[in-house]
Amino acid sequence: MTEMKSYWWRRIAGSLLVLFVVLILNFFLFRLMPGDPVATMLDPRFSPEAKAELSKLYGLDKPLSFQFLLYLKQMITFNFGYSFLTGRTVWEELATRLPNTITLLGSALLLSAFLGTWLGIQAALKRGKWIEKIVLWSGAVSFSFPSFFVQLLLLLIFAYAIPLFPLRGSVSVPPPIGFWAQLTDHIWHLILPVGSLVLLGFGGWALYVRNLMVKVLSEDFILMGEARGLPEKHIVWNHAFRTLLPPLLTIFLLSLPGIISGAVITETVFSLHGVGRFLLEAITGQDYPSAGASFYLLALLTIFCNLAADLLYGIVDPRVRFERRGR
Amino acid sequence: MMSLFRRWSFLLLLFIAVLSILAPFSLSVSPNQEVAPPFSTPLWLKRNLPPTMKITLSENILKKNIAWPYNPPTQIHLSGEITLSVPSALVLETPTQKFVLHHLTVGKNTFDIDGRDLSFKQRLNFSPFAQIPSELFSEKGEYIFRVEPDFSAPPEMRGTITFDIKGGRWGLLGTDQRGRDIFSLFIAGIRVSLIVGISATLLASLLGLFFGLISGYAGGWTDTIIMRGVDILLSIPILPILMVLAAYWGKGLWQLVLILSLFSWMGTARTVRAMTLSLRDSSYIEGLRGLGAPTFYILWRHLLPETLPLLLANIALGVPGAILAEAGISFLGLSDPRIISWGRMLHEAHSFGAFTRGAWWMLLPPGLGITLLCLIFLDLGKFLEEQIDPQLKGALKQ
Repeated sequence: MTEMKSYWWRRIAGSLLVLFVVLILNFFLFRLMPGDPVATMLDPRFSPEAKAELSKLYGLDKPLSFQFLLYLKQMITFNFGYSFLTGRTVWEELATRLPNTITLLGSALLLSAFLGTWLGIQAALKRGKWIEKIVLWSGAVSFSFPSFFVQLLLLLIFAYAIPLFPLRGSVSVPPPIGFWAQLTDHIWHLILPVGSLVLLGFGGWALYVRNLMVKVLSEDFILMGEARGLPEKHIVWNHAFRTLLPPLLTIFLLSLPGIISGAVITETVFSLHGVGRFLLEAITGQDYPSAGASFYLLALLTIFCNLAADLLYGIVDPRVRFERRGR
Repeated sequence: MMSLFRRWSFLLLLFIAVLSILAPFSLSVSPNQEVAPPFSTPLWLKRNLPPTMKITLSENILKKNIAWPYNPPTQIHLSGEITLSVPSALVLETPTQKFVLHHLTVGKNTFDIDGRDLSFKQRLNFSPFAQIPSELFSEKGEYIFRVEPDFSAPPEMRGTITFDIKGGRWGLLGTDQRGRDIFSLFIAGIRVSLIVGISATLLASLLGLFFGLISGYAGGWTDTIIMRGVDILLSIPILPILMVLAAYWGKGLWQLVLILSLFSWMGTARTVRAMTLSLRDSSYIEGLRGLGAPTFYILWRHLLPETLPLLLANIALGVPGAILAEAGISFLGLSDPRIISWGRMLHEAHSFGAFTRGAWWMLLPPGLGITLLCLIFLDLGKFLEEQIDPQLKGALKQ
């Protein structure tokens, strides 16, 4: 088990390195703006007292190295200061939005992964049938259509032309009364965004799974399984599918930053109450503390998912477990 | 190479590029001009809705017939700057009635009358609350707009009179929320997508080539640091960084190109590095080293030409990414509002009420344009890959 542990430690160290780069980038992104750093960090509408207090909070009167250490401490303790736009703490603003973003991305990711995997395997098993054609086409569509255009189209069709779903927002205004009513209202608002992400995402999955599966199904151990008289389902899911997990995880890892970036677009199109749209609002409203914190949170989410997938990789790929012993 | 000229994507790209270059000379309206009421539908839609039209009288043409099989227009406007030889009247003859819209005197006449003006309503003997457009155009049929002399002498006129009839339809693709012509906006948008897409990818490929060659050839610490940097850049969400940079650092076209290319060279660097690695230890490079060739010479004269064809395919395949990134940033409203681009058009459609009015003609042209351009470059990339590696062609046909 020591090999496993050292693998995990290396992955965690790698993630910390990425985190450090993100922190540096985030620090300089907002401080190397043209003009006076004090002016970019402080809203000109503030009173002199508020300005003095804020410049103490960010250490703007101290040298850059001190500012950086102060900033590091603030980022690690999630103490992001006050939003210029709303006047509340940035963390308060983000705390209500983060669950929404995670729900949106998580449910879309899970649904498209399940749907894509299932369709991809069916396509590999029934080659030349209509199901394979669907997979090939949906794969091509998901690679070439701009996501926001597809989402805008869906909005136009299913919210304007056929008013099945709401045009905007995460909840109805005014919100319904009662827990269950609120839950169904929330889900009703999420169907179109999640549906669009699944529509855009499952094609790529299905195409990868199909291509990998076609290759695996022609290998000797599948023939061996058939010779042993094992049922087809058992061979496909227990033998062939297991070998797909490592490459699928790799693909997931590579697509993760894009998926999280996509939250900004999706939340903007559907006007959802989430971190991505908050980032956009903060950027256009010149609310620097909120913009920096939102970017940091999105990057953190990516790093966290990355690490989780990496650790999972160690479990599903036996080669990682026995890396040292094999040598 | 002849087969390139038979490829649909290349021909289409050529056509689009020519269209974009010729557009400023051939289009009758400029994309920045307000030509019709906001959210006008395309001309070929809703046939009984009145179109927006402009009727002009000038030196030789003192009379124009207007076929009007539509509902009344929403607004009318009359303007002109003319010199006349005899006193006349500006007349609109409807199928049943005759209205004198304005009296013209001898000499210079300058007028600018709107259908909502009270004095205009009073002169025509309508109540102050009357809707002039629906009173004048109450019937369907033949209308005549002309200059009628008060005496029998034929008038001599210099200058032009313009009669604007504003309705709900305009042009091939309608208008947007500011009354601009969507078709000319669409054509103007080609430029930005092509310029940003191609130049950002070119720049990114150069960066990738540079880092890839160095990383692959030098090896050791240089390699580790560059590749680690690539890994890190590939594992953080780039769009937020692009958004911040685009919003605060540069909204211009070339700044956007620079920003995009700074964060999209990683894939090319990896490919070039892998190729360099496999070439570095090949016997002819080793021979060159044995002959005492300097590193720069080996890189420039031998490794670079080897990687070039692959790079070309990489560029073509990378353009859609850059086009989509530009469109995404513009869609989020972070681009310069004065630069017309397809992403900007989608942004305006989304944030200025195209959805509450169902103005799909604001949405489909830019969206389909982006998609088509992406498909074109994907196909070109595939074509170039096939040229480099003919085995791919066979594999695809199987």
